[in-house]
Amino acid sequence: MEHQNEQQEHKQTHHIISYKEHFSTLVALLLLTVLTVSISVFGAELRSLSVATALLIASVKALVVAYYFMHLKYDLKIYRWLVLLVMVLFVVFLVLTSIEYLNR
Amino acid sequence: MATAVATDLNFFQVKRGFFSWIFSIDHKRIGLLYMYSLITFFLVGATLGVLMRLELLNPGKDFLEAQTYNQVFTLHGVIMIFLFIIPSIPAVFGNFFLPIMIGTDDVAFPRLNLLSWWLYIIGALMALSTLVFGDGPADTGWTFYAPYSVNTSTNVTISVLAAFVLGFSSILTGLNFIVTIHRLRTPGMTFMKMPLFAWSLYATSWIQLLATPIIGITLMMIVAERVFGVGLFDPSIGGDPILYQHLFWIYSHPAVYIMALPAFGIISELLPTFSQRTIFGYSAIAFSSLAIAFIGYFVWGHHMFTSGMSGPARIIFSILTFLVAIPTAIKVFNWVATLYKGSINVQPPLLYALAFIFQFSVGGLTGVVLGALAADIHLHDTYFVVGHFHYVMFGGAGFAFFGALHYWIPKIWGRMYNIRVANIAFSILFVGFNVLYFPMLVVGLMGMPRRYYDYLPEFHLPNMISTYGSWILAVGLLLMLGNLIVGVRKGKKVGRNPWNGITLEWQTPSPPPLQNFDKMPELPKGGPYDFKQE
Repeated sequence: MEHQNEQQEHKQTHHIISYKEHFSTLVALLLLTVLTVSISVFGAELRSLSVATALLIASVKALVVAYYFMHLKYDLKIYRWLVLLVMVLFVVFLVLTSIEYLNR
Repeated sequence: MATAVATDLNFFQVKRGFFSWIFSIDHKRIGLLYMYSLITFFLVGATLGVLMRLELLNPGKDFLEAQTYNQVFTLHGVIMIFLFIIPSIPAVFGNFFLPIMIGTDDVAFPRLNLLSWWLYIIGALMALSTLVFGDGPADTGWTFYAPYSVNTSTNVTISVLAAFVLGFSSILTGLNFIVTIHRLRTPGMTFMKMPLFAWSLYATSWIQLLATPIIGITLMMIVAERVFGVGLFDPSIGGDPILYQHLFWIYSHPAVYIMALPAFGIISELLPTFSQRTIFGYSAIAFSSLAIAFIGYFVWGHHMFTSGMSGPARIIFSILTFLVAIPTAIKVFNWVATLYKGSINVQPPLLYALAFIFQFSVGGLTGVVLGALAADIHLHDTYFVVGHFHYVMFGGAGFAFFGALHYWIPKIWGRMYNIRVANIAFSILFVGFNVLYFPMLVVGLMGMPRRYYDYLPEFHLPNMISTYGSWILAVGLLLMLGNLIVGVRKGKKVGRNPWNGITLEWQTPSPPPLQNFDKMPELPKGGPYDFKQE
C-alpha cells in the first residue's frame, strides 16, 4: 500500500525561488545584523531597551528566514496560522512571566 | 490507499531475529519495542516505589538512610515520568495503531521513528547509569530544582542529559504523528471522521513538539551552571531560582497533558466499543482535547504558589488553572453519556475505563483544590499533592494504559488472555491502588510533608494502610502481567474482531500483515463510531 493523498500533493506547486529573491533576503538579513551590532555599540542611551530592540530585530530576521528561505510564503495558509499560533504562545509566556517578575 | 497487498504473513513472521527487531522501521515492531522497554522500566520504577513505601511502614529509619531515600524517590520519579508515563500510550499504542486506525501503511517518517526509539533507549541507559557512577543517582526530586541541583554532588548532570535526550525522542514522535495525521489519512477520512484516539494523539503531538524544546534548553542551562559556573539560577552567582521553576513548569505542566490526553483517547475508544453505541459528543471530545492542550500552556504557575512568586501572578495562574477543568469535565460528561442506554458488555478493558473515570475524577477534583491559591498554600508539598498526582497519573494514565493493553493485545498477537483472571487482577489492582493512594490524601490534609523518610507518630496509621495497599497493588500488577504474557503465548486464537469494534484496526487480521491491511478497509458511513449500520 502506498502513501495516500498523492492527489493533494500534486495540487501543491513546488515553488522555486529566484536568485534575485534569495539575494534580496540575504541582503536584508545582513542589513538587520549590521543594525543589531550598531545599536549594541552606539545605542548606549537606549539602556534597557537595547535588549528589547535586539530581540525585536532577531524576531524580524527569524520571520524573514521562515518566510523566504523556509518557503512559508508559498506554502498552505494553515502553516502560517500555525506559526502565528506558536508566536502567540511565546508572547503569552513572556507576558505572564513579566507580570510575575515586575510585581515581585 | 492505492493498492491492496494480499499476504498470508503477519508482521511477526515477515522477518525473524533480534536485529530484525531493533533495526526495524515497521511502526508495529517499533511500538512493541517501546512496549517491552516501557514495561521493563515501569517494573523498575514500581519496585523503587514499593521500597519507599516499605521504608515508610513505620516512623523512623527502617532500612533506608535518609540520603538513599532521597535518591530512591528521585529515581522513581525520573523513571516513571520520563521513561514510562510520558512516552507510554503514544509510543506504544500510537505507534502501533495510529497508522492502522487512519488506514495507512506506516507513519510518515519510519526511520525517524526508529531513531526516536534508539534515543529513548540511550536516554534510559544514561538515567540508569547514575546508579553506578560517582555519588549515585540525583537526590533533587524529578524536578531538579535549582539552586540545589546546581550544588549537589550527586549525578545531576547525567540525569539532566538523560532527560534532554529523552526529550528529543518525544519531539520526534510528536513530529511524526502530526505529519502522519495531516498527510496519510485514507481517502474519505476527514479530520471529523478520524477516531478520537487519533485526535488525542494529534493534540498531544503539538505539546510534544512545542513544549519539549523548552525543557531541553532549561536542562542545558543547569549543565552550563554546574560545569561552567554561568550564573543563571543560583542567587550566589547572580542567578534567579524562580526563573528555573518558570522554565521547568512551562514544559512540565503541558507534559501532564502529554501523559493525560492519550489516555483520554483510549477511553474514548473503549467506551463506544463496549457499550456498542456512538460516542456522545464526538466533536466536543475532539475539540476539548485541543482546548486542554492550548489552555495547558498557560497554567504552569500553579506549581509555584509558594515559591516566592508575586501576588498578582499567583492570582492570574489560579484563575487560569480553573479553566482547564471545563474541557476536562466536558470529556467526563460525554463518556458517562456514552454509556447511557448502551448495550454494555462488561469486559476487562471496560473495567479499566470505568476505573479511569472514577480515579481520574478524584485526581482532577483534588487538582481543583490545589489550583485554588488559598488551599494550595496549606497543601503545597504535602502528601495531598502526592496522592493527587498519583490519582491522575497512575489511576488515570496508568489504568488507561492497562485498559489499552487488554483491548488491543488480542489484535496485536491474535490470542486472547484469560478473561476471568484478568477480571480478578483488575479487582486486586483497583483495591490496591485506592488503599495505597487514598490515605495519602488524608495524611496530606493532616499536614504530613512529602519527600521525607521519616514522619511524626500521628501519621503512622494512614502510612501503614498505604504500605499495605502497595503490596496489594504489586500482587495485582504481577497477576495482570502474568495473565497477559500467558495469553499472548498460549491463549485461544481470536479472529479479526473479538470485541465487535468498528474502527479500522478491527477490519484487518490479528496479528496484522506487514502492510497493515489485506484488503481495502471500509470507512463506517456515519463516522468512526456509527454502530447503527452494523
